[in-house]
Amino acid sequence: MLRRSFTAVLEKGSTFRGDFCTEPYETGWAREARWFVRVLSADEGVGLHLVPQVSPDGAEWCDEGSGSLRLQGVGLVSMPLVNFGSWLRLRGTTSGRAGSVTVLIYLALKE
Amino acid sequence: MASSPQNLDRWSHWDLRLSKYNPLSRILYFDDFDEGMNGWCELVGNHTGDLDQIRPIAKDFRPPQLSSCTFFDIGTHGSVDGTYSLKLATRPQRNHLAIAIKRMTYAARGLVQFETYVTFKSELIPQAERALRSEDGPRWDGNVAPSERHFGEFTFSNDICVGETGPRCHGVVRYRNADPDGNLVQKWVYPTSVEPTTKMDRLGLVERDTRPDFFVASPADWREIPGGRQPLCFNETASKVNWHYVRWLFDLESLRTLEFQCNDLCMDMRDVAVPTYDEEYRSIANLLNLYIAVRTHVNVRNLLYLDSALVSVDW
Repeated sequence: MLRRSFTAVLEKGSTFRGDFCTEPYETGWAREARWFVRVLSADEGVGLHLVPQVSPDGAEWCDEGSGSLRLQGVGLVSMPLVNFGSWLRLRGTTSGRAGSVTVLIYLALKE
Repeated sequence: MASSPQNLDRWSHWDLRLSKYNPLSRILYFDDFDEGMNGWCELVGNHTGDLDQIRPIAKDFRPPQLSSCTFFDIGTHGSVDGTYSLKLATRPQRNHLAIAIKRMTYAARGLVQFETYVTFKSELIPQAERALRSEDGPRWDGNVAPSERHFGEFTFSNDICVGETGPRCHGVVRYRNADPDGNLVQKWVYPTSVEPTTKMDRLGLVERDTRPDFFVASPADWREIPGGRQPLCFNETASKVNWHYVRWLFDLESLRTLEFQCNDLCMDMRDVAVPTYDEEYRSIANLLNLYIAVRTHVNVRNLLYLDSALVSVDW
């Protein structure tokens, strides 16, 4: 059997300003994950800071601990994760000047 | 769901995973979600590459998940046989709808039968329970879970286009568990209007995205299936998962649902008209899609789980 994989689009052209979290996503079947965050547009001087979070139950969350993602302006960044348990999400906040960013957020999972 | 000894000769008993189903003569697909998504994916509104073209009501149907049914109080519940089920989750926003779809085409205009084992939950988050308790009215009696009234509805739909240009229609069956005020309804219903499409939107035939329900033009466009009251087993706590057998038989010739069965209730729907589109649709010749959907009425995530799904045909 080939290794199964699945890419979930957790945010599809969503616009954020200030603090936010992505929806909980179940990952118990997967051995590895990679976040992809594509900023489609951003107000002048507005950045984005994203921290992977894990959870035992999809309700209570803590930071995963291996790092974070920072973006300024449009572009694509990614971050791999292993040993993340059964749930993943991103905790995010816009930074710099007041304003908003519009993003696509993918979670690529693989057995 | 006969279990008489003579049924042991049925070929479906060759595989224990199939023996809980009653397929027609040919299995078109059998999706055991312990083995992956099997082609179920998020439905998205039509566009040409620009996400801003997607109607807002059809932009956020959420990616399906492979769920182990894990809860804060008991840990992992698992599925009927195995660990994983297909899960759809709404956002915790009133009227939010999650839809997954599986896309096929038909090879003959005969019978199609969709079977599954399904369960449904509203998300049990202690803080949310406390926040909503003041709206719950009666004191918890130790029996009926308050969260049962936070679950809105789940829906099964097909999407059929006959030949190159139609007619096109959606046969739809919905279980309405509770109304937006949290009163238990527990009835199976069907729509009396077509699902407004992107083409209808661009032709100006529908009011743009002011409606709260993707499946119909107006929330009033639902009717109870005769004999369609059926309390299901939500169970007394949101982390107790009981699965329900569903069998939906429809006919690609008459475009009608013939029977819809859930556990011991089988509803004859041959006399229920399925609305067809007035417009001509191209590019979807012989379309045979199936949707599953879940919709919340309150600011609590609603969750729909399928242990497995089997589609069989008589062609």
